[in-house]
Amino acid sequence: MRHNARQRPVAGTTMPNEPVVPPPAESSIEMQVANDMSEIARVAALVESFAARHNLPNCVIVALNVSLDEILNNIISYAYEDAGHHDIAVRLELRHGAIEVVVEDDGKPFDPLAVSTPRPQSATTVGGVGLHFVRNLMDRLEYAHRDGVNRLRLVKKLTA
Amino acid sequence: MTMAAPALKLVEGVIGNVTVLEVHGRLDSTTAKEFSDRLIALVQAGQNGILVDLKNMAYISSAGFHVLLIADRVAAERRRKVALCGVIGEVRRLFEIGGFTERFVICRTQADGIAQLGQ
Repeated sequence: MRHNARQRPVAGTTMPNEPVVPPPAESSIEMQVANDMSEIARVAALVESFAARHNLPNCVIVALNVSLDEILNNIISYAYEDAGHHDIAVRLELRHGAIEVVVEDDGKPFDPLAVSTPRPQSATTVGGVGLHFVRNLMDRLEYAHRDGVNRLRLVKKLTA
Repeated sequence: MTMAAPALKLVEGVIGNVTVLEVHGRLDSTTAKEFSDRLIALVQAGQNGILVDLKNMAYISSAGFHVLLIADRVAAERRRKVALCGVIGEVRRLFEIGGFTERFVICRTQADGIAQLGQ
C-alpha cells in the first residue's frame, strides 16, 4: 500500500507552552462499501464532506459524484457472479492540485477503458453512456488488474 | 460531519392543466427507483401535460437519464406530453455530454414549460 498523506495528531505530545498549530486538513479519506446499491449514498456523503473540507468547486463535486455513481453502479450490477457480500474500497485524495479517486473491487476483471462507448444519441439504453460520462468528466483514467483486484484510478484537475 | 440533505425530494403541483414535478437533490443509482415510480405513475394517470423542473437538482447520472427516457417513451405511447425545464449549470453540462439536449423537449423556465404544455 502506498504511503498516504493522512496525518493524525498524536495524543499527549503537545507541551503546555507550545503554540497550538492547527492540524493540516486530511488530504486523503477512504471507506469500504458493500456491493449494495444503497451504499452509493454513503459515498456521495463522503464526497460532500471531502469537498466541503477542501472547498472544492461545484463542477468538481458533480464530476466526482456522477463518476462514482457510474463506476459503483457498474461494479455492483455486473462484477460479481455470486450473491455474497463483497467490499469495495473508495479513496479520495487531494494531491498536486488534483483530486485522485481510487476504486478497488474483487469482482470479475473488467477494464472500463477497453470498452468503446456508443454515441449517446443513438443509445436506446444508457449502459454505455455511464462510462461516456466518466471519460468526459474526469481528466485521466487508469486501470490495472492485479492479485484478483480491479483497481481504477481517476484524476480530476482542480484548474481548467 | 453534518447530515446531508435528503438525497431526493420530489415536489408535485398542478398549475392549470399541467402537472409540475420539481426534483430536489440528486438523481442517481440510489434515487432513480423513487423518481421512476413517481414519474411513471404521473404519466400513466390523468390527461395533463407533465413538466419536470430540474432547477434544484444537484446532478443526474445515467440511472436518472434512463428514467427520463422511459417516461418519455411511455408518455409518447399514451399521447401525453412531457417537457423538462430548469436544465441549467452543471446539469445542462451533463445533458450536453450525454447528447440528451435534443432528445427531450426542454423549456427555459417553469413558466415557459407551463405555457407550452398548457396549450
